[in-house]
Amino acid sequence: MSLHIGIVGAGTMGAGIAHVAALHQCTVSLYDIHDDVIRRGIERITTELKKGVEKQKFSEEEMTAALKRIRPRTSLADLDTCDIIIEAVIEDLLVKKDLFKKLDAIAHHTTILATNTSSFSVTSIASATKKPHRVVGLHFFNPVHLMNLVEVVRGEHTSDETITRALEFGQQIGKTSVKVNDTPGFIVNRVARPFYGEALRLLGEGVASVEEIDRIVKSEGGFKMGPFELMDLIGIDVNFAVTQSVYEQFFQDSRYRPHPIQQQMVESGKLGRKTKKGFYNY
Amino acid sequence: MKAKTSRKPARRKNVESVHPKIKHGGFSTILIVGDDALVAEYSAAASAHNFHILPPEKIRSISTLAKNISLAVELSNLNIEQKRKNLASLDAALPATTAILSSSVTVSVLEQAQWIKLRHRLAGIAALPSLLENSLVEVAPSVDTLEATMEVVKKFFDSLGKEIAIVQDRIGMVLPRILCQIINEAMFAVHTNIASPNDIDTAMKLGTNYPLGPIEWGEKIGFDHVHAVLNALFNDMHEERYRTCPLLKQLAVTGKFWSK
Repeated sequence: MSLHIGIVGAGTMGAGIAHVAALHQCTVSLYDIHDDVIRRGIERITTELKKGVEKQKFSEEEMTAALKRIRPRTSLADLDTCDIIIEAVIEDLLVKKDLFKKLDAIAHHTTILATNTSSFSVTSIASATKKPHRVVGLHFFNPVHLMNLVEVVRGEHTSDETITRALEFGQQIGKTSVKVNDTPGFIVNRVARPFYGEALRLLGEGVASVEEIDRIVKSEGGFKMGPFELMDLIGIDVNFAVTQSVYEQFFQDSRYRPHPIQQQMVESGKLGRKTKKGFYNY
Repeated sequence: MKAKTSRKPARRKNVESVHPKIKHGGFSTILIVGDDALVAEYSAAASAHNFHILPPEKIRSISTLAKNISLAVELSNLNIEQKRKNLASLDAALPATTAILSSSVTVSVLEQAQWIKLRHRLAGIAALPSLLENSLVEVAPSVDTLEATMEVVKKFFDSLGKEIAIVQDRIGMVLPRILCQIINEAMFAVHTNIASPNDIDTAMKLGTNYPLGPIEWGEKIGFDHVHAVLNALFNDMHEERYRTCPLLKQLAVTGKFWSK
């Protein structure tokens, strides 16, 4: 049975999820407030799908069929019959809560409401609805079509049936799902904190330089990238924000404490690759 | 951001210097003592490169063998009292020209140097089970370590086909400190029932490209060694940040693995 997926927000994450869902036989209703955001989203999907055809991951016919399955929508009410609606709007709790309240009102009672949040509590977002048992976290990773992981996040009220259906959806779109209870940073953003946090401390304490720490982590540990290269790639500001968010949500547990070096880098405008200057120069 | 320049090994005259007795391409005799897993790993790597290995039990007859020994390697992370005894025996029996390499992830090189008379011959290495599979070894001098001692270290790892990185003498050094903290965090996630060990391993491999999941990595290293590093960091810094997850501690004490 082919699923009908609603996606709210046609930015990077929303478009990425639409791409993968459509390629795996789902009908996709892609919603955004602005026509042109949807258009740009679909353009991006088209570009990425073409690369997939070039790399012979799928045929041109499959690409065309996938694009046909994506329907642009500018009215939320059009998502009422979706099996799952996935929210991928900006990381702002009030915006998300307001959206879930609206979705709760328009969606059919069997529709699952999913959030792609990386930093907010699923339970908190679900509290804006009258049926929190159908709210779940589906945390995708960027770029969605290349990263094969989805964290399926169980909120305080999420039902077993909702989790089962979320896992089935993950399977249908070819992703590996992991189950996680609603806690700050879920699995990945939490367990990865010491990779950056200890590296920053080692640097601050003068145990080794940026270059040496990266070299050691790769050549002695077998990691593909060192912590400083990776912070430069992610964006030092983005990484700092995630660290602060996890730290605050754990009520300032010292394991997650951000490092002053991060703050100084952000304040000096050295944000990594995107500003051509970070821990390295580009 | 640059770290302070590495502390240079001391140059001292009037001290009988360590002699670089390691021959390139091996064929030298080395004595390896310490924790079983590490002794096995270092012995296998050195034998594969033509070194003649004296097993740990030879430490008792060391005085008769002393002249033939080019290098001694002490690899105890778990039992610090035993490490102290081993280092004292090695120091007493070996000629002043023989270097001693010692694992320094659970006790600093400087502290270990206080246990022996000839401090200049001691250098620290980041020895943790399974890390020798990879291509780089971290090395740390103490303030007393002579440059000639560091030359021996470099020559030894050169012979094993490993590059070295010289870091400051701090408990946990670089990779063991980062890695043990990642494993600790993953164990806290298991302990507080946030996700299953398998799902945590899967998430870290697929979500952040880690070469191994943190739980399976902990099993591979041995939770006893991970706990020893964390405990040493905690005692060194007295920060809650380095407190060992109770579940990890249980696994370290009972020697049991989580699953499989």
